[in-house]
This record gives sequence, structure tokens and C-alpha cells, in this order.
Amino acid sequence: MAATERPLGALMRAALALPILAVPARAGAADVREIGFSLLGYRESHSLMKISEPILWATIPFADTWEIRASGAVDIITGASPAIVTNAGGKPVQTITGASISDRRKTGDLKVSKRLDDWTLSLSRLISKEEDYLSYAWGAEAKVDLANKNTTLVAGYGRSNDRIRSVDDRELDGHRDTKEYLFGVTQVLSPRAVLQSTLTWSRGKGWYNDPYKTTITFYPDSSVPGLSLDLRPHERDMFTWLTRYRLHFPQARATLQADYRYFRDDWGIRAHALELAWSQDLGERWSLRPALRYYTQSAADFYSPLIARPAPALLSSDHRLAAFGGLSPSLRATWRGEAFTLDATLGYYRNARSLKLGGAASPEFETFTATYVLLSIAHEF
Amino acid sequence: MPLHRFTFRAMAAENEVQLHCDDAQRAAGAASAAIDEVKRIESKYSRYLPESVVSRINANAGAAAVEIDLETRTLLDFAQAAHQESGGLFDATSGVLRRAWRFDRDRVPEDGELAPLLALIGWQHVERTQRGVRLARAGMELDFGGFGKEYAVDRAAAMLSSHGMRSALVNLAGDLLALGPQADGEPWQVGIQHPRKPRTLIGRLPLTAGAIATSGDYERFIEVDGVRHSHVLDPRTGRAVRGYQSVTVHAGSCLVAGSAATIAMLMGEQAGGAWLAASGFKHLCVDHVGDVIDRFA
Repeated sequence: MAATERPLGALMRAALALPILAVPARAGAADVREIGFSLLGYRESHSLMKISEPILWATIPFADTWEIRASGAVDIITGASPAIVTNAGGKPVQTITGASISDRRKTGDLKVSKRLDDWTLSLSRLISKEEDYLSYAWGAEAKVDLANKNTTLVAGYGRSNDRIRSVDDRELDGHRDTKEYLFGVTQVLSPRAVLQSTLTWSRGKGWYNDPYKTTITFYPDSSVPGLSLDLRPHERDMFTWLTRYRLHFPQARATLQADYRYFRDDWGIRAHALELAWSQDLGERWSLRPALRYYTQSAADFYSPLIARPAPALLSSDHRLAAFGGLSPSLRATWRGEAFTLDATLGYYRNARSLKLGGAASPEFETFTATYVLLSIAHEF
Repeated sequence: MPLHRFTFRAMAAENEVQLHCDDAQRAAGAASAAIDEVKRIESKYSRYLPESVVSRINANAGAAAVEIDLETRTLLDFAQAAHQESGGLFDATSGVLRRAWRFDRDRVPEDGELAPLLALIGWQHVERTQRGVRLARAGMELDFGGFGKEYAVDRAAAMLSSHGMRSALVNLAGDLLALGPQADGEPWQVGIQHPRKPRTLIGRLPLTAGAIATSGDYERFIEVDGVRHSHVLDPRTGRAVRGYQSVTVHAGSCLVAGSAATIAMLMGEQAGGAWLAASGFKHLCVDHVGDVIDRFA
């Protein structure tokens, strides 16, 4: 509906004939204290892995211009992560190695922000610990609001140090250092539309091999199978471009959310992801958000489920490095009470060769499906 | 930047100007200009002051046209637009009903008392000439009570702005306007009063800029035999409207927000709700059973 057709349009025009100011009506997001709890249940179609991930988070503003956000999680990983890819049965399959493992991952992160007029400066720290993996990361971010808060620029720098070990190989002590640079802009296009675009570069050096991945290949002319550990380059440059668009429809009480993500790295992976979601308010308390995400990626140059002869210097049969496409519908229901907000999301993944767009999918890629449920409760105070 | 608060009495209520300013003297200068502007509008348009423009127009009802200045003409244009947009429910001549409705007494007027007053209501009897206005029927009254205070909020804010104030809030008895966020970028936290429980909030709006105005059945009312009769009166029946307990509207101008809230109250829950939804302005309504609808969605 055009503004002139709106009932208040005529009132506004009549009011503007008076010597008064036209102040843009803006209700800012409240900085509230919040504490919340989430639980993720995840199940792959072949029951390879189940993760139940309780996350606890809190946001606490203090002394007017400071804010602390912290979260902690313990992942309970059950099921089998280690896998061998072998073609023993005629075509490569993923096989579970023996007994399932059970592991716990502990993570914690802390972000402190300070506001100075139009600037917000943040420092963050993240620690993640597993028996065979240790990661320390920190980041610094500066944000500035321009043009009456209609434009926001953000620049960030991050660094992480990871240490990779293996339960199977006690000798292994791999290190990896990653530097990340981020630049983003958020632009309010109209009172109903916002566009955000973020570029991220990351340069990593060190150990990328998956110590639990082994590739075995049986050759028709030999009784001795080829065996290869996971061998990846020792450097990885990654570039991500994420663009998000939000368009609000006040009459329909709904918001269209469109996200596009482009990813490329120097391993040969090019990926595109597009997500469309419609967030619809239903009455005072409820909202529903159906979403559909499409994903397609090309394979890493060294991806292969089979070991060529002679054996290549780099090889990984990790299916996440294959060429494939994926489709993921999800539905989120939100209930907002006076003090509590409850969220439930039910989602489904299907990654398959046939869903790959542009160029052939990796012929050995096995269709992979998974369902997940995410429940969360947040309390504002 | 320190926050300066100036409270003052005007328009039969407690009012307030808040502003962030490094210079206390400049803050006081800006605030006093804003307060003077509120008092100027009050004396110009109050129906209680015999020298006011409104009193002169009313005194000449049924007789001669009264010459009025540009400001008054433009305000009457606004009243005309509101009358038209509300399908005749917003009527600046409906103030005569006060003669039958005394909200300091617990008595509901009889139909016989209202009938002669209803004959005096009707925007179509307000005759406009190029520089003047005439009320066609003797006994008719113009009343700027439905939008004068809201206009004063807008004007006071304009005065603060012309004094270079950017982080300022004008609050005239609960109808308010923020020129911009507070000095630290934080929004002003505006609590929405519960229409039935004093000192209880039904909602909160972080206000970065713009106006918030509320129309409700709780400001002035009488309760007789368990039925609440509020001061929000339907100009067609002369009786209190039934429906919303309160309507709060967020808009760029307090004049617009206030008249939109009043129009929605007058229209009632169904028509008013649809009208507000089509308006595109954020609003919060409390329906007749006390449920909050459209919490600034």
C-alpha cells in the first residue's frame, strides 16, 4: 500500500503544514539482560552420530555503556566420528571403526563490549577443549554508526591457535594458526528494509589433516590394498562473502529474510548457499518461521575416495570436501511471554549428488540426510 | 554528557523536558524556550481563558466570523483532516458534551440532556473563510483539547531542536516526543501505563526518536453501577465509547500519534484495529478485557 493511501498519511500531511518537526519514528532495540539455555538434538540418517549440545548463555549490560556476553557449552558426543573410506564392497563406503567413542567437548566464550558515542569496541575470547583438540581464539572488533545510525560499519581481526592430537596416535602434536580479517556494512534502506554485507578473509597455517581418517583402496590387479592417511595442504586461505536482506511487511506482520553466502578457498572449494525464510507473527505471542536453505559446493582439488597410483602427495576422502549439493527445510516456532521466550526449531538436511548445481558432483558422494531439533529458552530481566 | 530535567506545570498537568547537554546554561535556555512555547499554546487555545482564540471563536458562535492567524488555520486544517480520516468520529466540536458529562460526579446523563447538545456537534457547521472561521450555530464550541497538547509537544520539541538540542525528550502528561536517542546512544525507555492498575506497566518501548501518545478510558471517567463511562465520547451518540481500554501510537509527530490513538479509541476494537493496521504506525492496544494486542509489532 502506498503511503498516500494510508489513513495516517493524510493526518501526517496535515500535521506537516504546521511549524513542527518531522522526527523519524524509531524504536531502538532494548539492551536487556538475558540468560538462556539451548539444547540441540542431531541425528544422521545412518545413526552415525548424535550430539546433544546444551548451551548456556548470558548477556549483561553494565555501567551504562559496557556489555558482557558469555556462553558455555558441553557437547556430549556419542557415536562414531572416526571413519575409514574403503571400496572393499565394490564402491567406497564409510565404515565405522569398531566401538563407538564417547567424548566431551567443553567450550566457553566471552565477549566484552564498550560503547563510546557512535563507536562500539569489543574484545572476545574463545576456548574449546576436547581430549584431542584444543583451540584458543581471540578477536577484536570495532563498529561505528554513521548517518544517524542508518549505516553501520564493522571491522574485525581475529586469531586462533589450535592444537590437534589423536587418541590413536599419542605422538601426534599438530599446531595450526589462523588469522582472520572481517569487514562489514549494514545499511538501513528504508524503515522496512535492511541490507548487511560482510567479507571475511582467513589465512591458516599448520596441521589440517584429520588424524582419524584413513582411505583404503583395493586394486583389481593386486592383493595388497593401498592405504593412505588423510593428507591435506598445510595452508588454507578462505574467503567468505555473506549478504543478508531483511524486508518487513507491517500489515502482514511478517519479515522476509534472504541470506546469500559465497565461499571459496585455495583448496579448490567454491560454495554457494542461499536461504529464504519467512517470519510470520501470529497474534501477540506466537511466530512461525519456515525456511529453506540451498547449498552447493565443488570438491577440493585433492578430494578422492580412492587412492590413485602412484599415490598422490595430498589426499582426503572426507565427504565434506566432495562436490555435492544440499537442501535443508526448517520450521521454527517462537512463543514470547512476558519474561520468557521459547524457541523450537525442527530441521532436515539432504545432501546429495543430484542437488549439486553447475558441474558434476563427486560420483562417490553418498546421499546424506539428517534431522535436528533445537530447543531454547531465554529469560529477559 | 549530563542529563538535565526540567519539570513544570501547564495544561493542568505535570510536564517535563529532559535533555543531554554539556552546558547547563544552554540546557536551561533551550528548556525555558520549550516551556514558554507550551504555555503560549495553552493560553492561545485554552477554552478556559476568555482572551484565547478559541474563547473568541466560541463567543461568536451563531454570529460573526472571527479572523484567525496562519497557525490556527493550519490547526483547523488538521482537525478537518482528522475528521475526514475518522469518518466523522474525530470532531473538534464535540466538546459541548462536557456540559452534560461531569466526570467529577457519578451521574450518567439522560438522553433528554444529550439531545440538544448533539444538535450543536458537527464539523460541517464550522464555516471557514480565507482568513476566518465561524461556528454556524449559537451555542457551538470548538475544543482543541483533542490535539492541542499533542501539538504543544511537537512545538516544544521544535524549540529544543532550534536551540541545537539533539538528545532531548518532551513529555506533556504522558504524550511525548524524543528528538533523538540519549547522549550515549541508548534509547529512552518509555513505559506504557496499565489502563486499570495505576503505577503498573503493560509494556515498554525503547524510543530512539519520534512521538508516543496514548488515548485511554482511564484518564477521566465515572463508574456508575459497575459501568465505566470515559471521557472518550462518540459525537453521534454523546455517550462513552466501548471497546479499547487504551491505544498507544508511535509516530513521527505527537499530533499525529495522539489523534490516531483517539481515532482508534473512537472507532472501537474492530474498525480501530484495522485502521491502525493499515496506518503502518507501531501501536499497542489494550482491548476491553485487558489483553494487550499488537505490542508495537
